[in-house]
Amino acid sequence: MSDEHIMTAPSVEHAAHEEHHPHVNYWLIFAALCILTIVSWMADELGNKGIVLVIIVLSVATAKALFVMLYFMHLKFEGKWKFVLLAPTMVLALAIPAALMPDIGSHYYDYEVPQLEPDEQPTAHASEGHGTPPEHGAHADEHAPKKH
Amino acid sequence: MSHTATAPAHSHVPALKMGVPIPNGKLGMWLFLGTEIMFFTAFIGTYIVLRLGSKGWPSDPEVTHIRIWAGGLNTFVLITSSVFVVLAHEAMNSKNYKLAMNWIIATTALACVFLAIKSYEYYGKYDHDILPGHVAESPRQALDKLVTELDKASGLLPLQKEETRLNNALALKPGEKGLETRRDEIQKKIKDLDPVLTAYRPLKDKAKFGESSLHAVHEIGDELKQLQEAHPIFKPVHEPHYIKWGNTFASIYFLMTGFHALHVIIGMIMFAIIILLGMSNKLGPQHATFVENSGLYWHFVDLVWIFLFPLIYIV
Repeated sequence: MSDEHIMTAPSVEHAAHEEHHPHVNYWLIFAALCILTIVSWMADELGNKGIVLVIIVLSVATAKALFVMLYFMHLKFEGKWKFVLLAPTMVLALAIPAALMPDIGSHYYDYEVPQLEPDEQPTAHASEGHGTPPEHGAHADEHAPKKH
Repeated sequence: MSHTATAPAHSHVPALKMGVPIPNGKLGMWLFLGTEIMFFTAFIGTYIVLRLGSKGWPSDPEVTHIRIWAGGLNTFVLITSSVFVVLAHEAMNSKNYKLAMNWIIATTALACVFLAIKSYEYYGKYDHDILPGHVAESPRQALDKLVTELDKASGLLPLQKEETRLNNALALKPGEKGLETRRDEIQKKIKDLDPVLTAYRPLKDKAKFGESSLHAVHEIGDELKQLQEAHPIFKPVHEPHYIKWGNTFASIYFLMTGFHALHVIIGMIMFAIIILLGMSNKLGPQHATFVENSGLYWHFVDLVWIFLFPLIYIV
């Protein structure tokens, strides 16, 4: 190991107490975070739907997260250890979503969703209340379940 | 250079430290935050996967009672608190410990505001019975739930249960005065409920044995309103409605926001320690790493909310 990678214990503590990273205007970062939050809200208010809305708000969230990590958590000024420490967790974090995706997230079969279906003919008996085949008729919207 | 270099005895040469050039405490906090990233990514990732695979996922604010203004306000509160905590860290570096404590007090106050808004939202979910396992997901389930709630609101079931218990006890000890008196009281209470029972029984029977369709749910919902006007005892009964994935939505909502709120509370405990040190004039340079670590933890809490806000409140 080269000498430059070895610090004495007191000097490490000293470094922690006397951090000399470039001055950051935290209120400027705060303003950027507020503006980005308003952008998310506006994206919804302006009527964006579906995938467009998802892309906008998640992009904004990622930008906000980067601001917080780089400036508030000072990762911008930390050494390369941050990559060694954080990269494996980012990969491992995807394990559960990846494991669930094949069956839960994508499947060839369809579920019966009553609130998306038109009002079917009333079933005569109490025990027959569940599930009618999906059938998206022209009047589906006007028979949407009542909001409470 | 030797990898086992140690300072000789009685030497003023400090001991060598190998590895990451940051204090052990800070390294520990970053390792902990690594596990936290995996913890919350599992929740958020699972939520995204569930939504991808669940056609008709409840997202209408009128159905979910998600209030975007509440989420937006809490985002603002957490962002502001993040600035305060980083300013506390700066004050520690400037050796202005009084100022550092004041920034931490302000951060803690904002954490309280966050939890107050979150509590208001939770109360709304409780009030509308949007709780895991409580949401009807089909017309039949909606009507069955209505029947259960009508029975519960009428107050009849506990009385009937007590009457049965007393009758069983009297079968073993016939003629016991105390038991007979108690049973008579219960039977009188049941009789007093007659007008209420007469009023709600037709609606209950219709819900229990009648049609189970969207139309029937609407019709019975209107009749319930009339019953509630005539007999306020039925006010706690929820209007029948159904929403597929409602229970999964409630579960994942409370799981993610609940664990996040728990992290806020843990952060407040860390801040309380700093405030106590400051108030007893003990806050000093030896606590710089602790304040920094508290700040790192708090920024992580903010980071999680930055993703929860769009995913729960907007999308």
